[in-house]
Amino acid sequence: MALRNSTSGPVKTVSFHQNWSAYAFLAPALVILFLSLLLPAAATLLMSFTDVSFLKPTNFVGFDNYVKLFNDTRFQQAVGNTIHYTIGVTFPTMVLGLLAAVALNQKVPGRMAFRTIFYLPVLTSLIAAAVVWAYVYEPYAGPLNGLLTRVGLPPQPWLQNPGLAMNALIIMAIWRDFGTAMIIYLAGLQDIPNDLYEAARLDGAKGKDIFLRITVPMLSSVTFYLLIILIVQTFQVFGAIYVMTQGGPLGSTETVVYQMYQTAFGYTEFGYGAAMSTVLFLTILVFSIIGTRIMRRKDA
Amino acid sequence: MTDLAQPAAMERQITTRGRGREFPRFDVMNVIGYLLLLFAALATVMPFLWMVSTSFKGDQEIFRFPPSFIPDGLRWQNYIDAMASPDAGRQLVNSLIYALGSTVSNLVFCSLAGYALARMQFSGRNVIFALVVGLLMVPAQSQIVPVFLIVQKIPFAGGNDWLGNGGTGLLNTYWGMILPTAATPFGIFMMRQFFTRIPMEYEESAKLDGASPFTIFRRILLPLARPSLAVLGVLSFQSAWNDFVWPLILNSHREMATLQIGLQLLQSGPDARWNVVMAMATLITLPVIIVYLLAQRHVIDGAVTSGVKG
Repeated sequence: MALRNSTSGPVKTVSFHQNWSAYAFLAPALVILFLSLLLPAAATLLMSFTDVSFLKPTNFVGFDNYVKLFNDTRFQQAVGNTIHYTIGVTFPTMVLGLLAAVALNQKVPGRMAFRTIFYLPVLTSLIAAAVVWAYVYEPYAGPLNGLLTRVGLPPQPWLQNPGLAMNALIIMAIWRDFGTAMIIYLAGLQDIPNDLYEAARLDGAKGKDIFLRITVPMLSSVTFYLLIILIVQTFQVFGAIYVMTQGGPLGSTETVVYQMYQTAFGYTEFGYGAAMSTVLFLTILVFSIIGTRIMRRKDA
Repeated sequence: MTDLAQPAAMERQITTRGRGREFPRFDVMNVIGYLLLLFAALATVMPFLWMVSTSFKGDQEIFRFPPSFIPDGLRWQNYIDAMASPDAGRQLVNSLIYALGSTVSNLVFCSLAGYALARMQFSGRNVIFALVVGLLMVPAQSQIVPVFLIVQKIPFAGGNDWLGNGGTGLLNTYWGMILPTAATPFGIFMMRQFFTRIPMEYEESAKLDGASPFTIFRRILLPLARPSLAVLGVLSFQSAWNDFVWPLILNSHREMATLQIGLQLLQSGPDARWNVVMAMATLITLPVIIVYLLAQRHVIDGAVTSGVKG
């Protein structure tokens, strides 16, 4: 899909006029991409070697920010939290998405209603979702503790307990993301030739065998693609934490992007924030490159 | 004719029409499976139901524990309070300007660029396309620091000199907010993929008649692209309407706050009341859900092509 030269053979002679009008078509978009993505990416890299901030003149500091970063226990905690969050969200989201997709790929009564319901959280704005879940988790008036009390279990300080807060955020993220996984899996299921199922059934295969031997292997590239986009997305979690916990309690939900935001805009240490940004960017880039390769192979 | 022109991704509707298996025989496993499905659906809508339920509760009622699911009465006053809360009208206007500005600029800029990349011959085409694909991979959230500085240092804006120093640039302006999202690699890529699939014959006769590239684009290809533009439009609107990060970082003035920022301010404010907060959350969520239900088919397909948004 991606880099193929689509319309015709190799470009041979292109007149000045043709170039001029093509660039006129491209110019506005390219200027914006330059200002919003390309220049920032380059600027981040440059800034990460300086101590730029609001307060004092800028100096070149070499790798100081990176050295500081890798010895910074707070940053290490943030990396650990981010990995915890990413793993905690990604796998359940994919399993639930797959199960929902397989179930709703059959002629189940109310199929479209189920799909719409499972997709609703995806449409909700992150902030609205976070605000609603902050209420769900509210310790003294929230519905979750209300439910626990009704069934005779002790209420929990969901977002106030360092041992629970991250898991509470993870549950909300699964709720919000598994509709996406479902939709992508549904599309993947559509691409599996029906003949495979018919042949298997003629051979007397049972439902479980069909699922494990045909459905799951045939969905492997979709699964991998989904894994990558979920990792890339969850790695950048910010809004939910900003609204629900502000990184607390005791830094237990402080993730890399949240810490970066704090460092740059809270403490105005832009240089140090840029070093964090670069590390984050390179990490995500690795996953993105893998993801793009899969997408290209899938579409080719 | 239009059907021919529609990209395959949009044709590939997500239904099982004609090929799905019949609902399997009635047995215990299926009953359990269906019950699980019902349970999952209930668990998924529960937060929404609580949101709506709480939005109708009274000021004392919200502190009752355990909270009752059915409110004592329908207290519409919460909605009036939410809308009358200081700045709410202003926030709605800001959100609309931001979302519409971002949507319109994406539609214009991405379709222009996508058209050039798909159907025009020029030197450097492959390099530029490779660049766009490469930029697809740049995570926006990792760029919050430099984008802030760039928006602040736009020359001649907000009291800046020609080097971009001295003033606040485009911070706290609509232009500044729209700029980082005014064209996206995804939008360009999507429009390029669409224009690639339209046979060249469509524009050949117009070319022979001496029509300019812009006329061909405007009169022949853009009308064919309506389904793709609809997807791009809905996705752009949705992502700007729901956006939190850029308005948060690029605006510090209260009067530039969007609804999302407003909701966060309302919830974290000193006199936050859950019933009013939930009324506000309901008001913000509703438009997106309505747009989605109206454009369901296109949007879902677009979301599949794009991967995860938001």
